[in-house]
Amino acid sequence: MPRRVSIGLATIAVAFVLWFGLTTVFGIIPSGRFPSPAETWSALVHVSGRGYGGGDLTLHVYNSLRLVVMGFLFAIATGGPLGLLMGWSRRAEAVINPIFLIIRPIPPLAWIPLAILWLGLGDAAKIMVIWFSAFVPSVINTFAGVRNIDRPVLEAAYMLGMPKFRFVTEVLVPGASPMIFTGLRLSLQASWTTLVAAELVGAFYGIGRVLNVAQQDLYPGMILVGMIAVAILGWGTTRILGLAEARALRWNTAALAAKG
Amino acid sequence: MGVIQFENVGKIFGSRASGFEALKDINLEIRDKEFVAIVGPSGCGKTTCLRMVAGFEDATDGTVSVDGTPIKRPGPDRAVVFQQFALFPWKSVYDNIDLGLRNLNVGSAERSKRIAAILELMNLTHYAKHFPHQLSGGMQQRVAIARAYVLDPDVLLMDEPFGALDAQTRVVMQEELVRLARKNPRTVLFITHAVEEAVYLADRVAIMTRAPGRIKEVLDVASIRNAEDWDSHEKIEDVMDLESFVHLRTHIWRSLREEKAAQHA
Repeated sequence: MPRRVSIGLATIAVAFVLWFGLTTVFGIIPSGRFPSPAETWSALVHVSGRGYGGGDLTLHVYNSLRLVVMGFLFAIATGGPLGLLMGWSRRAEAVINPIFLIIRPIPPLAWIPLAILWLGLGDAAKIMVIWFSAFVPSVINTFAGVRNIDRPVLEAAYMLGMPKFRFVTEVLVPGASPMIFTGLRLSLQASWTTLVAAELVGAFYGIGRVLNVAQQDLYPGMILVGMIAVAILGWGTTRILGLAEARALRWNTAALAAKG
Repeated sequence: MGVIQFENVGKIFGSRASGFEALKDINLEIRDKEFVAIVGPSGCGKTTCLRMVAGFEDATDGTVSVDGTPIKRPGPDRAVVFQQFALFPWKSVYDNIDLGLRNLNVGSAERSKRIAAILELMNLTHYAKHFPHQLSGGMQQRVAIARAYVLDPDVLLMDEPFGALDAQTRVVMQEELVRLARKNPRTVLFITHAVEEAVYLADRVAIMTRAPGRIKEVLDVASIRNAEDWDSHEKIEDVMDLESFVHLRTHIWRSLREEKAAQHA
């Protein structure tokens, strides 16, 4: 096992022992403020078995994950091409950028009331809000990625007489891809943040829904289960993206290693 | 064919009234299969000359043409070798060389034959699957030269191609370029600030003045090279030792020094 991993595991173990000690052994933190490991476990068993807040854990996780994936894919499928277009064409940038300058400072969460007003408490409203939050980082990073491609590399492509479509797929996209992936990671994080917030405000299923009901029931164990579930899902999806990135950017890791 | 013609070419960056005048009254004809080097003090506009032939810049005055056709845009008939290599870092050596051929719709059997031949010629056969960043600077420039040569272009444009290389690698590359140019002659426009490199490689050397750059003098190296039989010497240092070589080099140095002095006056 690499040293980094073992140190990381040790840190987690110490944190767990500390948690157990403070809540259970010494009782310094009362269980009304923060749940003990045992309470958290029983909450987990509760939501997994009988269910809580309208469904069991699998149903909540499935719904949240589904919405995040849909919103995220929708955002990058629209944001990526728009970023490419803005990076490529100064005219497109001039037309589109003012709209961005107005929209960007609005926190994505501020769109939630409007989304619910338009589309109700169902999936569509949440996908729309996730789209708003994940769209901006994917556009901006794709745009910056295109603008960061070395000028001589672009000139080499012109010199080789690239057809338009091939120029996009074999020069612009791979050239911008390190930044595109940065954008994807930010988009994914934004997707989770926004989803949980949207579910807190109003949802029939989902992890945000679990958190919201648990808060009203004064049920700290269940709140922590919800938080841990989001953490694991966020970590897992980021990890999948990381693997895709490592695969797609093998040339870039070589490049970075060469630069030292 | 590949005749490059500069006719009364001028270039102003920015507006005519307040812009920077980089080139003025450039007149030069580079014959088919001729190797011409342009030397000049830095900032004299020699790279701009090359970029106009490549189609990266427009002439403000006059015309730049190849085989009588004024240049409108870049294209694979005028292959460029850049100082900073400008390889596609996300493509392997093989794919870098292949891309231009694919754009020309060359059939796949023909492509692999031509790529294999150029890899062999440039001593790159074992590096076909490497990414550019896994190679040294000299190797990367070899890939860039292969990428240009494989297109079988009418005109080859080289913009200080060895400027980013260390001295030893530079010498090796110069010898290889001479070998390549003798085996497979092309019309070459070669930009450099290294006088010896220009004299060693070129058939004619054009000396430019400081900005606004004009062509001050064009020296015929080829006739001297042939008369003194430089090509019978295999190594660059032997050629550089010859009296005829030293004489030409000194002549160009003097000419450039005058420009430098004028600049400071």
